[in-house]
Amino acid sequence: MEGRPADDSQLIERAQRGDSAAYEEIVQRYQQIVFRTAYVITGSSADAEDAAQEGFVKAYRALDRFRSGADLRPWLLRIVANEARNRVRSSGRRHQLELRLTEGFRPGDAVPSPEAVAIAADERRRLLAMVNALSEEDRLVIASRYFLQLSGEETAAALGIAEGTVKSRLSRALARLKARVEEATHA
Amino acid sequence: MPDLEEQLTALSVAIDWPKTPSHLWRGVRRSRTEGLQLNRWALAAVAVLVIFGTLLAYTPSREAIAAWLNLHTTFLRTQSQPTPSPLPSGPLGERLGLGSPTTLDKAQSQVSWKIQIPAALGPPDEVYLKLPPTGPSGGEVTLVYGQRPDIRTSGLTGVSVLVTEARGKANETFFQKMLGPDATFEPVTVNGHPGYWIAGRPHMFAFTDSDGNIYTDTLRLATDTLIFDDNGTVVRLEGEMTRAQALQIGASAG
Repeated sequence: MEGRPADDSQLIERAQRGDSAAYEEIVQRYQQIVFRTAYVITGSSADAEDAAQEGFVKAYRALDRFRSGADLRPWLLRIVANEARNRVRSSGRRHQLELRLTEGFRPGDAVPSPEAVAIAADERRRLLAMVNALSEEDRLVIASRYFLQLSGEETAAALGIAEGTVKSRLSRALARLKARVEEATHA
Repeated sequence: MPDLEEQLTALSVAIDWPKTPSHLWRGVRRSRTEGLQLNRWALAAVAVLVIFGTLLAYTPSREAIAAWLNLHTTFLRTQSQPTPSPLPSGPLGERLGLGSPTTLDKAQSQVSWKIQIPAALGPPDEVYLKLPPTGPSGGEVTLVYGQRPDIRTSGLTGVSVLVTEARGKANETFFQKMLGPDATFEPVTVNGHPGYWIAGRPHMFAFTDSDGNIYTDTLRLATDTLIFDDNGTVVRLEGEMTRAQALQIGASAG
């Protein structure tokens, strides 16, 4: 249909035939999620940028190995996440991921009082601080599923684990986070 | 109060993510240019291989070869993964880096030379096509022959015979130097065309593609191989064949 963006399979087919404009569109389409995923893994925007860049280059060179009919996003995420983990391993340093809230963020579905906004912002900040304080394994799975909004398959690809493991790991991470929230509430 | 999962989901829109770099595509585009330049440096890479080959004076184990190939892959920044073990999992084309599955007709429409089918083997069971940027300039066609009488299934490829064709020139100097100590190399003639019979230990393969770049193909280890240069088309037959079988199959190509 005219004017309608090409779907991923069309873009991949064109890119596999050597159409660089198609791959450029793929990069533009997925660079944000790819970069943020790398950021969650490395904890550093500079390392995430390098990993995303190298990941896109590697994916380009591996286009002929992309299985026809497969989902593009998990495939890209797997390549970039591998790159991000390799960077963390090879540099020997691991940055502590410190996610922050956007200043002045207000949910758009209500017009709360200034006091309610302040309380809600405070609750969000506390919850995010608790996520930041979790173990790396727990933090990664929660950030992937809820903050990056990755599917189970994509989370598995990003973390380099089986999809079934994502479920069990997420369940344990949520239980630990919930315990901390309740502990803080009762304190 | 919303449950924990709802709160976490709600947080996703409030996170202050670092700004996504906008130049990632430019990096990919630059790497494509560098890739072309790297081909010109492949000669230097071959020289490094020769040194490694000398260092590997002992009969190398498959693991040693795989490690060697991995190092080489990094050095060359090749597009395809090597095959470090005899039969890795996955579809054939993927694990051997043959490119995309296709049909003979479609492959023929994409390449400039007439694809040679060895009559002695009959129609291929599968056909693969690899175009730039991962394939050599002019493309590369691979015919796969799964099971054939009198030819054992190769432990390295999992099929009886692979026939690979590309425009270019077989470069004797390169692949002679890439042979392990237990491989033999013998000049032969196939239908009047110059060729080479390489047997023994798994070896590497390189040829000069139609743009004059040294193309190391997929860097997978090759089994016994007959290579001949049919007026600018490099034809390579790989499989656990005898020399006589390979020459007979090669002579039936056309």
